[in-house]
Amino acid sequence: MAMEKRLIKKGELAGIVGRIAGDMSLLAPVKEEDNVLFELVKDGVTALPDFKNTKNAPKSFFFPRSETLMRYIRKQKGMEFAGLEKDEQGERVLFGVRPCDARSFAILDLLFDQDKYKDPYYIEKRNKTTVVAMSCAKVPYATCFCTSVGGSPTSTDGSDVLLTDLGDEFLAEFLTDKGKGLLKYFGDKTADAQADKKKEEIAASAEKEIKTSIPAKEIKGFLDANFEHPFWDTIHKKCLACGTCTFMCPTCHCFDIQDEVKAADGKRVRNWDSCMFPLFTKETSGHNPRPSQKERWRQRFMHKFRYYVDMFGPIACVGCGRCVMSCPVNIDIRKIVADISKL
Amino acid sequence: MQNPYVPIPVVVSKIITEVDTKDIKTFRLSFVNKEDEENFKYIPGQFAELSIFGKGESPIGIASSPTQKGYIEFTVQKAGQVTSFLHEMEEGTPMGVRGPLGNSWPLEFLEGKNIVVVGGGFAFTTLRSLINYMLHEDNRKRFGDITVIYGARNPGLLIYKDELEEWGKRKDLNLNVTVDKGDPSWKGREGFVPAVCKEVAPSSDNAVAVICGPPIMIRFTLPVFFDLKFSKENIITSLEMRMKCGIGKCGRCNVGHKYVCKDGPVFSLAELDNLTKEY
Repeated sequence: MAMEKRLIKKGELAGIVGRIAGDMSLLAPVKEEDNVLFELVKDGVTALPDFKNTKNAPKSFFFPRSETLMRYIRKQKGMEFAGLEKDEQGERVLFGVRPCDARSFAILDLLFDQDKYKDPYYIEKRNKTTVVAMSCAKVPYATCFCTSVGGSPTSTDGSDVLLTDLGDEFLAEFLTDKGKGLLKYFGDKTADAQADKKKEEIAASAEKEIKTSIPAKEIKGFLDANFEHPFWDTIHKKCLACGTCTFMCPTCHCFDIQDEVKAADGKRVRNWDSCMFPLFTKETSGHNPRPSQKERWRQRFMHKFRYYVDMFGPIACVGCGRCVMSCPVNIDIRKIVADISKL
Repeated sequence: MQNPYVPIPVVVSKIITEVDTKDIKTFRLSFVNKEDEENFKYIPGQFAELSIFGKGESPIGIASSPTQKGYIEFTVQKAGQVTSFLHEMEEGTPMGVRGPLGNSWPLEFLEGKNIVVVGGGFAFTTLRSLINYMLHEDNRKRFGDITVIYGARNPGLLIYKDELEEWGKRKDLNLNVTVDKGDPSWKGREGFVPAVCKEVAPSSDNAVAVICGPPIMIRFTLPVFFDLKFSKENIITSLEMRMKCGIGKCGRCNVGHKYVCKDGPVFSLAELDNLTKEY
C-alpha cells in the first residue's frame, strides 16, 4: 500500500498543532528565555512556528533524567515492595522533532527493546508517543553532521510522521500506523508527484548545505585495531570530566540506580549517569578498570563509533552537534573523527 | 511484559559465617512464592543482584548448585553499603533477588572432559556451585576426572570448610586444599596456589581448567597452565565489574563490545584475547 501523504497550507499548521494539543498531550519546541525546549503546548504556551533545534535532546521523554522504577514501604521486618511506578500519561505527540533526534530513538530502541531484556519503562513511553518529525529544509547549524553518521536532513528513522517545508505548503508523510492515527488532523489534500519532486529537491539542497563531512564510518577499522595507540594519550587532556557531552547527547543512555528513602516510604530511582565520571566504574575494592580520563574518554568514543556498531549496527551518534556546541573546552568530536582518519 | 528491574521476594533463611574474620558469610535465601522458585532456573557460574530496598543492589555469584533444591545461596564479603547491611541482617528478614543473570560455566563444553578447578580466596563461590553440580549423582558420570585446587591465605580464611572435608573423603574427586601460611593446628598443605598447581600438574589431555581468584593469583597461575599445555580455549575464567542494571543497558560493565553482566561473566582466555584489556 502506498504511503499516506497530505499537503497542508503553511498557515494551517498552527491550527493542526492546536487541535491535536486539545485532544492529547502535545510537546513541541517552545521558546524559553533564550533557549528552545520541548514543552507541553497548552493555553499560553505556543509551539514555535520556526526553530533550529531544541537545546536538549528529546530522549528524556522516553528515558527521563530521573525516573522512579518502583516503590517500597517499611514493614515490621524490613522494606517490602509496594508497587511499580505507573506512567500516568496517556497518548502523546512529540511534535517538531528534528530527523537527527528522531533517529536517536531508533538507535536507542535497539538497546532498550532488545530480544532478551526489554526495558518496560522506555518501551511503554515509546509506544504511547507519536513522533512527528520536521525535516531540516534549511540546515540549522554549522555544527550539523547527520549525513556523516547515517542520517540526513529528511531521514525518517524513528519518526511516525515526517513534515517537510515545501515553501508555501508542508508535505506530511505518514510513515507508520501510529503516525496514521494523526491523519484526521491533516485535512484531505493528498500529495501529488509534484510535491514528491519538490521534497526531493529540498532534501538534495539541504544535504548540500551541510558543510561538515567526516569519515565516521571509515574509522571503524582503525578503532578495532587500535585500542592502544598514542592518539588516546593526549586527546582527553583538556577534558574537564563535566559530563555535559553525555548529558546533551541524544544517544547516550548510561544510568545509575539509586534507592531513596523518606521515613517509611522508599523508591528505587534511575538517574542519568556518565561514563565521563571517575565513579562510574569504580568498584568497592577501589579498583577502577577505567582509572583516568584517558580510558573514560576512549570509552565514550569507542562506544559510539565501534562497540555500538558491533552490537547493533548503527553508529551511536546522530550528528546533531550538541556536544560540539556545549563542550566547555571545545572538544569537537568531528575533529577527532577527522584526525583519526588521517592516522 | 516482564519487568527485569523488579526483584523476586525472598527471605534470608540461613546465615553461615564462613571465616574467622567474620566478614565473609553465606546467605541462604528461600523464595516467598513457590512459582518464583520454580522459575528461577540457573546454571553454575551465573550471578544475581542481591536487592535490599532502601540500600540498593549488589551483583553476587550464585554459590549454590541447581541440584540443591528449595533455596539459593550467596557467599558475600562485607565491603560496600549493600553488603555491609546484608551482613547485619538476621535470619527471617525479607529481601529481594534479581536473576539469574549472565552466562554460566560452559557445562556442555565441559561435559566428557577432565575438569581442573582452581580457586583462590573467596572467589571460590561459583566454582563451588560448579563442583557440587558435577559431583551430583545425576551428573557425575558426564564429567571425567575432577581435580580441585583451592587456596586461601590462612586456614581461617578457607570457606565451605565442612564441604571441603566431605569432598576430601570422596574417591571421585582429587581435592588439593592449600594455605599460604598455616597455623599450629593446620595439618594440610602450605603453599601458594600457583606452586600447588605446578606440583599437582594436572594433565591437559582432554582437560579444561576453570580458574577464579584474585588478580595476583591468576597472573601467576596462568603460566603454570600454559606450561602444562592447556590451550587458551581450555582455560575458563569469570570477570567482575561494577554493575547496576545487570541486563546490559546501564553501560558500565562493558569490556569492548561485550557486557560482563549479559555476555559474561564467564569467558575463555581465547575470548578475552579478542576483547579490550579493560577490566
